Amino acid sequence: MAPSSVFVSVRNVTARYRRREVFRDLTFDLRTGQSLGVIGANGAGKTTLLRMLVGCLSPAVGDVRIGGFRPRDATLRTSVAYFAGAATLPPNVRATAWGTLGSGEATLADRRRIRALSQGMKQLLGLRTVLSRHPLQLIVLDEPWEGLDTESSRWLNATLESKRDRGAAVVVSSHRLHDLAGFCDEYLFLMPHEARLMKAHEIARVGPVTAALLTDTFDKLRERPKAPLEQPGQEYRAHS
Amino acid sequence: MRRWWYLAWFFFVAPPMPLLMIGAFAVATVVAIVSVIIDPARASSALTPVLLLQLFACASGFDVPARRGHYDLLLTHGEPRRRVIVAHWGASAAPGLLCWLLIAAVRYAISNGSERTLLLNVGTVTAMILVSTIPWAITVRLPRFSGAIGWLLTAVTLSLARPDMVAVQAGAPIHSATEWLVTACAVLVYPLLLVGRDLHGRDLLVVVPGVMFAIAAVSIASWSIDRRDIPLEAAQ
Repeated sequence: MAPSSVFVSVRNVTARYRRREVFRDLTFDLRTGQSLGVIGANGAGKTTLLRMLVGCLSPAVGDVRIGGFRPRDATLRTSVAYFAGAATLPPNVRATAWGTLGSGEATLADRRRIRALSQGMKQLLGLRTVLSRHPLQLIVLDEPWEGLDTESSRWLNATLESKRDRGAAVVVSSHRLHDLAGFCDEYLFLMPHEARLMKAHEIARVGPVTAALLTDTFDKLRERPKAPLEQPGQEYRAHS
Repeated sequence: MRRWWYLAWFFFVAPPMPLLMIGAFAVATVVAIVSVIIDPARASSALTPVLLLQLFACASGFDVPARRGHYDLLLTHGEPRRRVIVAHWGASAAPGLLCWLLIAAVRYAISNGSERTLLLNVGTVTAMILVSTIPWAITVRLPRFSGAIGWLLTAVTLSLARPDMVAVQAGAPIHSATEWLVTACAVLVYPLLLVGRDLHGRDLLVVVPGVMFAIAAVSIASWSIDRRDIPLEAAQ
């Protein structure tokens, strides 16, 4: 694969749960060695989009490609790390044992069952397990900073930057904009009426993207009048 | 082989059944072994608790834990979904199968290998196949134990409505197509009838519908899971 080639390609994707539409006509690309931050209100479809990228969900309409393959095939050919939060860990498993499921080596020296761990410890266990594999080509994390203390957050940032610098494409979603700020190359704002992709330099023309700038951009997008975008036939794809 | 090893390790770490079930299997096996040692002629009845536990152990359910995200690591680890499904069935059935083989080995050992054990004949093997596959297939998209509870309800309801079915003797001479059908249905609903019975020739025909049903149920359940999306419960 050529360096910085398009690795994740999302084309005109619409997601639905039965009749309820989550988002519509979403289009964006992500290159190797790039990171994408997904920002959105509750129910905007962040988790749905992330699960589509790892092949757990199929789009109702449109096409998702990872390294040129459909996501489910891509997980067989590429090395993918996906973690959707502490709640997804089985509660009765011992933490030490779960930690070995990543690279084979224990990632947390705690013999308690997962249900006995604190929220932050569970989150750290899940993250360390999925990120312990080498090399990783696609990292997809749903609210990864949730419950982490300062030291663990620092470890996560350093690990993600290191993996990204080695060529992994990183997709992270978070409500905590200060964690995403400055880390991502592109930001995808998912809202009920619009999805918008913005590069870091479009948000901050000078200097790094800050949490304040992200919040400001998100608020502006949220406050945009909905009427013109809700007309039938009107596309609201993410613009790059 | 390495991939299969990973799947086995995953389900060893995160078994599809509650840990209490493993303990129950251990107790049932010890009791069965003691019972076989005391009275070798009662080997068939000693196996009954293990078969009942196997019914519940195999009704482990795949969809519910998958939608809670418990299998996310496995599903994105590079394993084909079909292989994951096979491994899930294997992990659900393994404890019961191991207990059965252990009891059969003890039975064989105390007979000094002089007689063929009653626990490895066609009837017992068929019973074990039925209780290891059908509850798994029924429960694959339902909450844990649903298939076993449904099966037991069917068995109890039928035994009240048609007591003659429970009285059917697998291996008894069959004179008509109707008798064959009733016996085949009885075997399917009450697989315990088969334990310890050695079937030969035409008698084998009574287990064919049950085994065919088990194969079809497992195939349909696997196909359904293979094609199915797995959303997170919390994200819908």
